[in-house]
Amino acid sequence: MKVIKDNLRAINEAVLILKKGGLVVFPCETVYGIACDCLNPKAVEKLNQYKERPFGKPYAIMCSSRKMAKEYVNLNETAKNLYKTFLPGPVTVVSTGLHKVAMGIESETGTLGVRIPDYKFMRDLIKKFGHSIVATSANASYQKRPYKINDILDNLSEKQKLLIDLAIDAGELPHNEPSTVIDTTLDEPTILRQGEIKLKGKNEVTSRSEENTQNIGKELWQKYERYKDKRAIVFALQGEMGAGKTIFTKGLARAMGITELVTSPTFALENEYRTGKEKLFHIDVWRLEKSDGLKALGFEDLIKNKSVVAIEWAERVADEIRKFDDEVVVVWVKIVFGKRPARNASSIADAGGDNERLISWGVEK
Amino acid sequence: MKILSIDTSCDETACAVTNGTKILSNIIWSQVSAHAKFGGVLPSLAQRMHSEHIDRVVKQAINNSQLTINKIDAIAVTVGPGLSIALGVGVNKAKELAKKHHKKLIAVNHLEGHILSPLASPANAQLTMNNPLRGNNLQFPALGLVASGGNTILVKINKVGSHETLAQTTDDALGEALDKAARMLGLGYPGGAILEKMARSTRLTRSGQARRNPYILPIPIVGQEERKIFTYSGLKTAMNRLIETKKPLTKEKVYNLAACFQDVAFTHLIRVLRYCIIHKQSLASQSTGKQSLASQGPGNSSFVIHNLLVGGGVAANVELRRRLRKLGREFRISVHFPYSNKLTGDNAAMIGIAAYFKAQRGEFVDPDKIDRDPRAKLSHSEAKW
Repeated sequence: MKVIKDNLRAINEAVLILKKGGLVVFPCETVYGIACDCLNPKAVEKLNQYKERPFGKPYAIMCSSRKMAKEYVNLNETAKNLYKTFLPGPVTVVSTGLHKVAMGIESETGTLGVRIPDYKFMRDLIKKFGHSIVATSANASYQKRPYKINDILDNLSEKQKLLIDLAIDAGELPHNEPSTVIDTTLDEPTILRQGEIKLKGKNEVTSRSEENTQNIGKELWQKYERYKDKRAIVFALQGEMGAGKTIFTKGLARAMGITELVTSPTFALENEYRTGKEKLFHIDVWRLEKSDGLKALGFEDLIKNKSVVAIEWAERVADEIRKFDDEVVVVWVKIVFGKRPARNASSIADAGGDNERLISWGVEK
Repeated sequence: MKILSIDTSCDETACAVTNGTKILSNIIWSQVSAHAKFGGVLPSLAQRMHSEHIDRVVKQAINNSQLTINKIDAIAVTVGPGLSIALGVGVNKAKELAKKHHKKLIAVNHLEGHILSPLASPANAQLTMNNPLRGNNLQFPALGLVASGGNTILVKINKVGSHETLAQTTDDALGEALDKAARMLGLGYPGGAILEKMARSTRLTRSGQARRNPYILPIPIVGQEERKIFTYSGLKTAMNRLIETKKPLTKEKVYNLAACFQDVAFTHLIRVLRYCIIHKQSLASQSTGKQSLASQGPGNSSFVIHNLLVGGGVAANVELRRRLRKLGREFRISVHFPYSNKLTGDNAAMIGIAAYFKAQRGEFVDPDKIDRDPRAKLSHSEAKW
């Protein structure tokens, strides 16, 4: 292993070593990292040996620019915004990978984390190298965060030391935290695939409070209650985070005579409330990867049993719901925030006081 | 007593071996890496995922404990609350192991696991007599708080195994609300842990002074803490509005918005907790019956709460810990957190701890009768205080 200072010559030397499939310890704005060529499977294997981690645990790659990143990952809107706001900087953005990198870098599900360092020396190095590098913190697994070259060397076995080909020493780095990893892959716009939901006629009311929203849930139950026990009734709820989908369901449950506490099903995916003979199934598909996830939750049985079901983020599984169009009463309910207040919401009253929502509903054309 | 425990209540496939309150092994298979999180991962098909991993996870837990299955005294498993199809995988596996190896079987409530998680100690810990956390020595009644991605609940623990609900969420769990706020800020999902990091970035200015957050969000049910609920729906609405007015978001704005949301979410939690602690007086009078009511003067409670046990993923949040400790100092209550962050998120070691106390009480179940209970409750009564 050779240790050199972080000057221009170091860039040339590091590039040579990377090209040969070697491992380079480098400084950046977070901690000392260790890198290799992301396209060279042998180099990645060497990195695995050094980190003593099993094959299959994903790595992040480091790029010099967003343009370079786009060669390796597919950037959705969320990712683009994050790049704009936080990169270069200590944030690793996880996107869907394009499978350009060597095996074992992307995750099992094909996602890949990308970071652009806020450290000019490294951006110059990567640019000169010509493509992305795999980069991870240089400490051996479970050892302390490396802010000096010696933090690393003191905790390494002789065997591990031999694996490092070059170490670039920039002295002691400021003690910043490691990068934050943000996964954007759950924000894929699955909605587009499912086609727009067009309703027959147009029923629209304004809700000015959570109570109002609950009452609308109650009214809609009264309107469709006549189908109960004859057919399954699905309330397909659409609306942004915080729009009031769970609040609506509370009203629905109350109208059905359910006294159990209705809470958000986002985490559990499915809640079942029961009071006496009355039963309501409350599903949230926000975290489901694909619309067939609804099947896994036993949606078909719910339909067969003529159940009453409320589904949050229903537009994400519209295809799956439509399959049962003939046997089910599907009531689409859309809750959108009312118009933005004209004044700048900077005081408590403004920020919290404006509770207006537009709630529209109907059955699909 | 050595217990093999299994938890498959949601996204994590977990198995552990415990000896009393000591943890011999604690294996968690998770789709995401070791980054702290309390929202859950994408559970495309939770059941299939658990089925694929459970055998490996069980095997590894036994291996890491350096025991063999013969040395295990009982099998424990989470029966609820959780995702029905996911729970089924763990329950079936536990049933199968209990029958095959002729072990006693213990059914555990996931929330009780979280509540008792601070009682866990490392395998090599020296438990001294004066350690207040030595399980049976803990003074009761105590308070138990679970703040996770799936639940937010405050209970009075009369003794281990006997709980009364004091307050619970009426919409989102705290961890879930933080995750959703992160998502509104474009920080992915689940992003509660990221939100915490972003929030930390604002605390000090370059000169080291505490910075005043330029944003204000309303504290949920402020002044109405007697309702004893946790609620985040109104806060989410306000956050949504606030973000709308601040677009386009810069790095600084994201930091400040994250800090503001987290601050208000925690302030609400602490205010409800404080209300419940201050008003334990009336609880004392109601729960101990009429006789003790007569003997009580104002400010002279018939019992004192000495301990608060905190579990769940959000218990890993440094800022929340700071505030809970501060509240504890104010009321001379010791606040206990799990010794490792690996015990805050969903795990099976905490199930083993809860199972140990159940075994001591002789609460075993027939392997042919055990069943999952997706909406399992922690207590059948709500405390009236």
